[in-house]
Amino acid sequence: MEKEETDKPTHNKIKMNLEDIIKEWETVMHDEIAEYAEHRVASDEELFATAYHKMVHSPALETMLQLEHMYSRTVGQKTDEKKRLVQELSERQSHEMNDAVDRLDKDMTESKINELVAEHYEAHSFLQGKLTSELDTIKEAQRREYREWLMQMLEQNQTNSSIPTPNSPLTPHEIIIPNQVFDRGLSDTPILEESFTIHLGSQLKQMHNIRILSANVMDLCEVKDNKLFSEPTPQLLQTALALYSNDLSGLVLLADNKIGSRMIEDFQDICQKSTEFHFPHIEDQLTKISDIAQKFLKKEQKNLNRSHSELLQPGDFYITRHSNLSQVHVIFHMVSDDSLRGCDINSRHPVVLGLRNILKTACSNDITSLTIPLLLQYEMTEEMTISWCEKRAELVFKCVKGFMIEMASWGGSDLKNLQFMLPQGISNQVFHSLTEMLPRIFKVSNPKVLK
Amino acid sequence: MTIGLLNHPEMHFGAITFFAKQHKEDMCGSNGLPLTPNSIIIYGRAQMLKAIKSPYLCQYLDIIRGKHERTIVVSQYCGTPLSNIVENQDQSIDEIKHIVYQILQGLNELHTRNIVHRNLSTENILCQDNNVKLFNYGLYHLTDNGKLVSFPIIQLLYAAPEIYLDGIQHNHTNPKVDIWAVGMILAELVLHKRFWSTLKLGHRIRKVLSLLQSNTSVFERIAREHNCYEDYMKVPEDIKEIIEICLNINVDQRPTCGELLQKGVFNQQKTDKISEKKSLCEPFEIFTIHEFYHWWQLAGGDIFQELKKQGLIRSSPPILSLPQLVLIEGGLLGQDRNPATLFDPRIVEMPLASLYQRFENIPFTAFYPLIQIKSDIISRLEPPPYDATGLPLIIKERDPEYQFHRVILLRRLLHGYPFTRELIVREAEKDIPPLLRGEIWAALLHVKGDYKSHYMKIDKYSITPTDRQIEVDIPRCHQYNELLSSTDGHQKLKRILKAWVCKNSNYVYWQGLDSLTAPFLYLNFNDEAKAFACLSAFIPKYLHKFFLKDNSAVIEEYLAKFSQLIAFHDPVLANHLYEINFYPQLFAIPWFLTLFSHVFPLYKILHLWDKVLLGNSSYSLHIGLSVLTQLRDRLLNAGFNECILLFSDLPEVDIEKSVYLSTDTFKTTPTSITAREHENCEFQERDKYDISGVTLEDLKRERYPRISANDIVSLVRSNPEKMCMVDIRNMTQYNRCSVIGSINIPFSSVSFSDNNIENIGQHSQLLKETNNKVVVVIGDEETDMELFPTFLLKCNVKKVCVLHGGFNILLSVTPTILVSHSHNI
Repeated sequence: MEKEETDKPTHNKIKMNLEDIIKEWETVMHDEIAEYAEHRVASDEELFATAYHKMVHSPALETMLQLEHMYSRTVGQKTDEKKRLVQELSERQSHEMNDAVDRLDKDMTESKINELVAEHYEAHSFLQGKLTSELDTIKEAQRREYREWLMQMLEQNQTNSSIPTPNSPLTPHEIIIPNQVFDRGLSDTPILEESFTIHLGSQLKQMHNIRILSANVMDLCEVKDNKLFSEPTPQLLQTALALYSNDLSGLVLLADNKIGSRMIEDFQDICQKSTEFHFPHIEDQLTKISDIAQKFLKKEQKNLNRSHSELLQPGDFYITRHSNLSQVHVIFHMVSDDSLRGCDINSRHPVVLGLRNILKTACSNDITSLTIPLLLQYEMTEEMTISWCEKRAELVFKCVKGFMIEMASWGGSDLKNLQFMLPQGISNQVFHSLTEMLPRIFKVSNPKVLK
Repeated sequence: MTIGLLNHPEMHFGAITFFAKQHKEDMCGSNGLPLTPNSIIIYGRAQMLKAIKSPYLCQYLDIIRGKHERTIVVSQYCGTPLSNIVENQDQSIDEIKHIVYQILQGLNELHTRNIVHRNLSTENILCQDNNVKLFNYGLYHLTDNGKLVSFPIIQLLYAAPEIYLDGIQHNHTNPKVDIWAVGMILAELVLHKRFWSTLKLGHRIRKVLSLLQSNTSVFERIAREHNCYEDYMKVPEDIKEIIEICLNINVDQRPTCGELLQKGVFNQQKTDKISEKKSLCEPFEIFTIHEFYHWWQLAGGDIFQELKKQGLIRSSPPILSLPQLVLIEGGLLGQDRNPATLFDPRIVEMPLASLYQRFENIPFTAFYPLIQIKSDIISRLEPPPYDATGLPLIIKERDPEYQFHRVILLRRLLHGYPFTRELIVREAEKDIPPLLRGEIWAALLHVKGDYKSHYMKIDKYSITPTDRQIEVDIPRCHQYNELLSSTDGHQKLKRILKAWVCKNSNYVYWQGLDSLTAPFLYLNFNDEAKAFACLSAFIPKYLHKFFLKDNSAVIEEYLAKFSQLIAFHDPVLANHLYEINFYPQLFAIPWFLTLFSHVFPLYKILHLWDKVLLGNSSYSLHIGLSVLTQLRDRLLNAGFNECILLFSDLPEVDIEKSVYLSTDTFKTTPTSITAREHENCEFQERDKYDISGVTLEDLKRERYPRISANDIVSLVRSNPEKMCMVDIRNMTQYNRCSVIGSINIPFSSVSFSDNNIENIGQHSQLLKETNNKVVVVIGDEETDMELFPTFLLKCNVKKVCVLHGGFNILLSVTPTILVSHSHNI
């Protein structure tokens, strides 16, 4: 009797354990082995990616870009109009307000003015809301139309083996022959840039291209639309061709610890200037990232030694994807803080470590062109003396070199092009001292002399 | 007919692919260096599988690393999986016995090497005309018992219950798990049934685990569950017993492979096998599947492409699978598992049609080349030999037909080593086929047959003071190479270095020995002992005394000789370097100490050493010269600082050009020009007419080389038109007796005030245009032996050298090369 009692629980325990064991094995088989994993159908995103990649590498390319360009012009016009209307309203309102204040001693009372303020505010946000939602509707419609058109094109393409000249759903309504070619560049400050071919490794030498340039970082993102042209800018062609390839191009931007804060507002505006046909709109991407971050940080609060557990920390970064920027596909938003303004940061600084993670992410995700702020700043500030710049550049050069050597053993894709960006308006003298520094840190390839 | 030989049923192969586990977060090891990627560890571990050769095992052929930790394993794949014939009712008991006997033989082979299969299933056993081969038996081993991959290595139905119980993380597996699997397979075969084939994943595991709780025989229980108790009853008792003991729940009571093979059931097979084994030694195979695979690759076979075609390598656009947030600690958030990275165990067989087509026209006789003698009649009947002469080496190495002929021939010659060594050397002078380079090098280095036991006897484990330096150097030695950067590679290199240090107590470990060992290890990765034997033969021949604790005298002499060699061939460059004080000491020590193995990447070293091994220890001086020749224009325009910068990181050197230039200068330079005191006399016999007794001081002062009387004599006799002898003694002496064809420029008649060749008078024109003649300065004790040759050198006269020992040494050599002019006057 006694014996039975003691036996039973152990028996149950074994049974219990067995069930756990079976479960455990089952899960790992599901997760890791294709045969047992759930059969997944290709997502919309993947289907569209395949279609787009195929079409963009066909004679349809020109029509596609043309179409995208016309769509973006519509959005652009609408955005301009929105700006104008809001501006007008603001002017009118401030005029009214001035009037009212002037009459304060006569027929106006303070409460009446308060009413007026409230009224103005309401009218303003109403107009803003209305125009924004109109814009969103246009974008949504464009996106749907474009994607449908593209899939249709692909189908046609597959049925007739010869590719017909595709018809765009929009017909170009205006063809203006420009009478002056390129007036761009006149207004811009001359771009300072210098390129190098360097190699790493003592016996087997791995080549990389490095470029130092001083420019406004937003130039890499913003699609400069020349009003006179109805043609899309040529950079877009390259960007579109590479979008679903294994040669992506990335850019490091600096952000603060709140996802989607004012610091990246300029950037957001640029993203919104035209329709995003491939990825979620920038706000949606940011919201999603924010959700992920909150969920994770709350859960892991105790496990990680983070000072502000619910906010991101310097060195963390989030990634957004874009198809409507002029030269980049992937943006790394690196969280930074004011300590970067100081002159005594070293290679253990969180932002530098974050840079290493960025290189690693680039390497394991086929991002083969990358732009990095050489001074870890995109704006000129007072602290940036010549010696400050030289010290900072030396640190970044050396660290990046170390990371690149490390990368070679990671077995990912090679970083083919690396761009170091300097703030716009940096003096010639600083620029040259930095370009002279580079060959001292990286080994510059000797030119091959053909005889 | 040719295709018939190639189209052998066993000459087929296939590939599987999987991803190694990525290192998470922290990417640095305890020594501060980056962690070795798992795919590289796998690459190293898998090499030994390639060396396993057994009729019961499919041979491993290649491991390929792709991007992002992808690993591809290529191995022989011939026949049909056993799973296709399990349900075949015609299988007789004898046939089944024969199959199981072979499976056990294969397993035994693995278990004696401490390899656990753990992946045994009817899918992985291939049958071909009653011959059985195990396939994919190395997966568990090469992934370090599954630690290097994220998926479990298991065959649901055949996994022993203890595998499930131990859990997923457990990775010390007893070889007995394979015995269980054999039991299950045998049970399936005799019942002609695939067990639980319709059940779902979880249920299958449950079924296997339920066997743990059976009180009766496991086999009986399985039979009852499948409604074949009657069949079960028909199974012969001895087979039943085998199944029963294999399917023992208690691991310890399960027999080993060896024990099973001893069982009486297999008596028939054993006697069959003995009768088969008649020949005394292994028959020579004209080519093996390794060569076959090599040719297939050369003929355009592309493993990646085939895997892609079958959908095993799928690429989804990377932009769709980016992470969304990366924390500073390295954690990735918002990245979904890419379904293309899941493990798909499918096997892709490689199509061979393109190879057959390419080799269609190769005549049958090409497989059996005649080596020693060939009669005219045979030669006339044969088609002209495949001609690749004149093609660049790199093209030759990639030409499938050419490599076919070379490999067939050299394999045969290597089979006859050491008796065929002379022939091997002769062939090696043409070129060395990459596939056989390791063996050919060993033959060139006279490696003897008992190298294995020699190596085995050396202590490679005791702690020595040099260990620390070795530990530091190894992770920095040619790490771009997958073999050398793998964990196995590090261990092997360490053992070889320690063995060398232990064996050569008169020498010390100098940094650079690691680089020197690297090519040998790379070529003989599966034969450490041979790598060691090659190294041990290489150093005395080419780097004699370089590894002395105080090697300064040896190195200094070598560098001085290098300077003289530059002066001999390129006085303009030599003068320039001399003027800017840019001495070889500043750049060339690592060149010669490691014979360029520290300077160039492996693939270049291989081509360079192909020639080094055919030359002697002064060959590397000529390589040094060829490197300088390639950089000549830039050196001539550079000052000291630029030169230092240029050599701090040697620019790309065209290695084929270097090989060509150095072979050329090596052949056209009289041997005594580069003769050294510290040469190993084992390889260089000397007599009194050779150069000896030159002090290091003298050597460093003299900017031109000396030439021996022996060389003069042979030059005068064989190629008098290639030399120009300048006798600088006074005219009386010259007239009395001089070397045939020599000219007289009395030392006292020349003014050395400025470097103008006209100063020497009537013969100046002759010395201005020497047409690559060797200019030998002959003097005696009474003449200053330095000023005149230095003067010639400064005037950029090429190939200036001085007769060692002066004129008088010739008097005793042989009077036939001397002549007297006095009669003519």
